[in-house]
Amino acid sequence: MIGNFLDQFWSLTFGGLSLGFIYILIALGYTMVYGVLRMINFANSEVFMVATFATIIIVRDVYKFTQTSEYATGFQLWLILGTALLASMAVAGILSVLIELIAYRRLRRMNSGVLAPLISAIGVSMVLAETMRILTDSRPVASPRAMEKKFIGKFFDADIRLDNTIIIVAAIILLLLLLTFVNKTRLGKAIRAVSMNPNASKLMGINIDGVVSITFLVGGLMTGAAGFFYVLKYENSSFSIGFELGIAAFTAAILGGIGNIKGAFYGGLSLGLLETYASFFLGTQWKAVTVFTILVVVLYTKPNGLFGEALTQTRA
Amino acid sequence: MKKLRLTSVAAAAALAFTSLVAYAPASNAKAKVVTLAFQGPLTGEEAQVGQDELAGMLYAVKLFNAKNKGKYKVKVVRADDQGDPAQAAKVAPGIASNNKVIGLVGAAYSGATIASLPYYKQRLLPMVSPSATRVSITDPGAEGGALGLPVFHRVVVTDKVQGPSLFKLATKGVSSPKVFIVDDQSAYGVGLVDYMKPSIPAGQGVGFDSVSDKTTDWSATIAKIKTAAANVVIYTGYFPQAAVFFKQLRDSGYTGILAGGDGVLSPNFVTLAPASVLEGVRLTAGTVPLAEIDAKLEADFKKKMKKASGVYAAESIDAANVFLSCIAKGVTTRQAMLPCVKSYKGKSLTGANLSFDANGDVAGGAMNGFEVKSGAIKFTGPIK
Repeated sequence: MIGNFLDQFWSLTFGGLSLGFIYILIALGYTMVYGVLRMINFANSEVFMVATFATIIIVRDVYKFTQTSEYATGFQLWLILGTALLASMAVAGILSVLIELIAYRRLRRMNSGVLAPLISAIGVSMVLAETMRILTDSRPVASPRAMEKKFIGKFFDADIRLDNTIIIVAAIILLLLLLTFVNKTRLGKAIRAVSMNPNASKLMGINIDGVVSITFLVGGLMTGAAGFFYVLKYENSSFSIGFELGIAAFTAAILGGIGNIKGAFYGGLSLGLLETYASFFLGTQWKAVTVFTILVVVLYTKPNGLFGEALTQTRA
Repeated sequence: MKKLRLTSVAAAAALAFTSLVAYAPASNAKAKVVTLAFQGPLTGEEAQVGQDELAGMLYAVKLFNAKNKGKYKVKVVRADDQGDPAQAAKVAPGIASNNKVIGLVGAAYSGATIASLPYYKQRLLPMVSPSATRVSITDPGAEGGALGLPVFHRVVVTDKVQGPSLFKLATKGVSSPKVFIVDDQSAYGVGLVDYMKPSIPAGQGVGFDSVSDKTTDWSATIAKIKTAAANVVIYTGYFPQAAVFFKQLRDSGYTGILAGGDGVLSPNFVTLAPASVLEGVRLTAGTVPLAEIDAKLEADFKKKMKKASGVYAAESIDAANVFLSCIAKGVTTRQAMLPCVKSYKGKSLTGANLSFDANGDVAGGAMNGFEVKSGAIKFTGPIK
């Protein structure tokens, strides 16, 4: 078994890493909002789901790809990937901001406590999932293949595939941009200030509502990018995937320590790799058991997750 | 919580719909109104299967009503069980106690059938399922005996036949098969593997895996398949996961044979992955697509139902025809319907003799083979 594992180690690791980066980006949607508002935005999972459909619509309806089309190459390929990524991010970002405006802002102003926004968030996620269920006739929807899944090289014995490589490289770039934004810009500083002490920030003249909107926008953009990467890798979506991926990403956020970017990063990577290795060793049916046992053990020793600190203290 | 709310809303909707249809005033005063029911997933993730079967039944009823205009008018009550046993246990009592309903086409899924059976047995409502293939429902030797007696019948052959047939089809023409089998953890998928196992020659089954139908990333299973150096991979589950699994397996460089059972045989299967990936996928099913029986039949179906026929359309028509031919003989009560179904002797759409054995299973019956060619599922003939 160990010998087999070593044979397959690098292909498993690449698969786990690209899945992990998708988890990280969704986990950031939870973590950013939690860092600022101390509130779990359960609707984030459905923002992800909607974003996957944005990518599918771009590839299938705007660029008119079908399951029997020739693959795109060269400039056309990068144009398609670029538009799909930007469209998914834009859709998810705007949707997140709207959700905050409609479902949370008034509750926040009225100091409604923690339960009302929680239910409101679950309500929003149900509305989004059920609407999509009706629109798609409850059926899974495939994204036609625009990019050939070709091997671009070998690392030890493992084939390196183009889509996994794109996901890992692009996700790292997005993460670096996010860290720069949070740590180096005035808006980022405002976000950290509100996260640290909302009342004091208000007294300093920071527009709290503006900061909250920006936080939702940034979380949405990251989640939207995850939607694009998901479709690039798995080429399908359905109204119900938000729930599955949302739970996984939320677990990643908790595992790493919710409310901080570093936590989302390590949580997502650990979860992606853990799931893949555990499935190989014990059989896929043991995946959930292994992952959640490890989660409980981690929380038992470190109740705030691996990196339980606030967004405020995050360093690159 | 999500599921609970979903199902309760659906239950309320189904209830409202049921009463609406059942008590709608008869438009034709002279014709004798007879009510049949359909049970299957009409909403939820499995909705397509149920909607396609319902369309088949409605097509048969439409033809019957046109033929017997002024004499009989058959109405269809719909029971939406979402393919879910819990939901089935909620809708079945309503159908069972609705005395107007004299026969039920369904349930579509085996789990839902088993959950509904106590209610139908209590009120002696005859059932003919187009697609519930779990062996235990009619097997007197199975643990707990034949669950379905006396009300349950089916027009489709069971997984006891399908398991070995699927293995045979998958390994056909392969000189030294090394078969890796993956199930989807459902009763259907696991059961199919259990029935397949006795027919696997020593040394040919090189690995097994059991993967939840919620899985999106298959890299671990794929790594195991590569380690086992398999050249035949069989998936016993349903088409949405099959498409994703096969796609990831092919993309990893696997070039061997891919095969699946009737859960994979859906017109939607080929829309979920590139044609080049699915080329050559081998499938089995007890069903035959309408278009393969007769292109004219499919064209007429399309015209009358305003959509193409789906999987189990032929079986749904066959199942409905069992009841309809009894009605044509003057049977209009539940009491008379049960013996009429039991002694039914007719022809299926494919022209084969159709009757039921003492346990409610279709007498005779064979598995059919299919292959994906250029993005379409083609019938390759019965598996011998």
